[in-house]
Amino acid sequence: MLCSSSAAIKRISVSWLIIANNSNFKSHRLSRSESSTKRPRTMSTHSSLKDAFSSYADHLNALNEKRERIVKASRDVTMNSKKVIFQVHRISKANREEVLEKAEKDLAAVRDQHISRLVKELQGTDFWKLRRAYSPGVQEYVEAATFFKFCQTGTLLNLDEINASLLPLSDPSLEPLQINLLDYLLGLADLTGELMRLAIGRISDGEVEYSERICQFVRDIYRELTLLVPLMDDGSDMKTKMDTMLQSVVKIENACFSVRVRGSEYIPLLGSSDPSSFLVGVSDVEL
Amino acid sequence: MKSALRNAYYFTLSRYSLNPNPSLLHIVPFISTFPSLPSVLSRNHPFRSPLCATLMTGGDSDSPQTSPSLEKQFEKFRVQLEDSGSLRERIRAVVLEIESATRLMQASLLLVHQSKPIPEVLQKANSQINVLKDLYNKLAEVVRECPGQYYRYHGDWRSETQMVVSLLAFMHWLETGNLLMHTEAEEKLGLNNSDFALDLEDYLVGVCFMSNEMPRYVVNQVTAGDYDCPRNVLKFLTDLHAAFHMLNLRNDFLRKKFDSMKYDLRRVEEVYYDVKIRGLATTGDSVGDQGAQKI
Repeated sequence: MLCSSSAAIKRISVSWLIIANNSNFKSHRLSRSESSTKRPRTMSTHSSLKDAFSSYADHLNALNEKRERIVKASRDVTMNSKKVIFQVHRISKANREEVLEKAEKDLAAVRDQHISRLVKELQGTDFWKLRRAYSPGVQEYVEAATFFKFCQTGTLLNLDEINASLLPLSDPSLEPLQINLLDYLLGLADLTGELMRLAIGRISDGEVEYSERICQFVRDIYRELTLLVPLMDDGSDMKTKMDTMLQSVVKIENACFSVRVRGSEYIPLLGSSDPSSFLVGVSDVEL
Repeated sequence: MKSALRNAYYFTLSRYSLNPNPSLLHIVPFISTFPSLPSVLSRNHPFRSPLCATLMTGGDSDSPQTSPSLEKQFEKFRVQLEDSGSLRERIRAVVLEIESATRLMQASLLLVHQSKPIPEVLQKANSQINVLKDLYNKLAEVVRECPGQYYRYHGDWRSETQMVVSLLAFMHWLETGNLLMHTEAEEKLGLNNSDFALDLEDYLVGVCFMSNEMPRYVVNQVTAGDYDCPRNVLKFLTDLHAAFHMLNLRNDFLRKKFDSMKYDLRRVEEVYYDVKIRGLATTGDSVGDQGAQKI
């Protein structure tokens, strides 16, 4: 009873399938045009399924391969950006110029060699579709670039400035790679951790005012970010970063504070083993 | 903890006498020596306790204000994020409507398990397709305001779309016995010519959801007396499973759903076997008799 009607429907639907399968869908290649209607009914239905899935397979394969390439490029960006950060950390009053010069060169190398690989992969909708694949790398790059800028000029590298530096990477026929707001803010949050390390390091070198400038800067960033975090797309990452950020701020503040308080004793501290010093036998208090 | 506190306190008191510029500041150092304390303070007072504030800002009165360019940049960010937030809310509103239309469709399709005649069931469900078509076009319009950001907000309609595809595919199968193709699904939803496309992976997951319905359908059809159904369903599901095998899947959600398809296939095979050995099926022929071959 059902059989005869379904056979008729099958005949109609097969010809419909032939027409439908000739149109594009959002894939990297055209789905193969269907066989002629001369083939026996059941075979065409069958192979149209096969053809359709073969083109689905091609689409998915291309997508996954692209994703892999992006992940690899992102890992290289991360690694090399971290090297830039370590380079900048070596800064001191004596070697400032040469450290910054090398860091600038390394940063440019990250852009030219690794970020450029992302440009052609992230055209069109893939920019947002594959964000999870490249986001960590981009965040690390933002962290390195803003860190470098701060050590160079004491100011924050804007998102517009960072994106302007990426424009030369792509030729005019391609969409330029522009870092999106979310990755920029996430990278900024990581920046504060590095600034905290820098501040503590500078204090040990005696550059107290520099550390206080860092302190003010990090406070500003924290304050501005508190307004933005609730509005962000994927807020949970950012919220944990904000907690860490506050800890960094407090660490810098405490370090600056101890220096102020003990300022006059920084030199006597060297003489704590002097028998006349009241400090003999007293264990050091740790921050 | 108490004795350590006392030690630190005496330590600072003795230092107090040494320092040529005694001030109240020196009573306080013990706060900084216990790293846990500042964070306790900050947890309760997100903008820092007044005590710390006076200590810190004492020396900062001559430091530069927050640079205006910094503030301007963050103000711009705030506006952008608020805009994307409100766009997301509008998307959510449309998606909720899609969800309720889907539920109506699903409710009427469930009648098929109670062996209501198929055309009747389909008629009711089909009426919802136009509703869905309108809603998806509405969604497309909203998303069109931010060109290129389809995938930024994709998560907000992903699972609803998968459910829609599974229902459409099931209905198509009831009507024709064939699998609804990706392009056909797009056409039904009015998305074939727009920049708002049906994501391929959403479509594939929807097809897997549809196959989950098959075992239940077959069981109920046999109970109602339709002994030919298992053979048709088995053939369909075998072909579908084989077609899916052509895909190289990562270990993600789609892969999991595909894995569940083989259990559906197995249950349908069992039903077919039960019917066959009891000689209940009308033709009693094997699956391969129509000349179609398994891939």
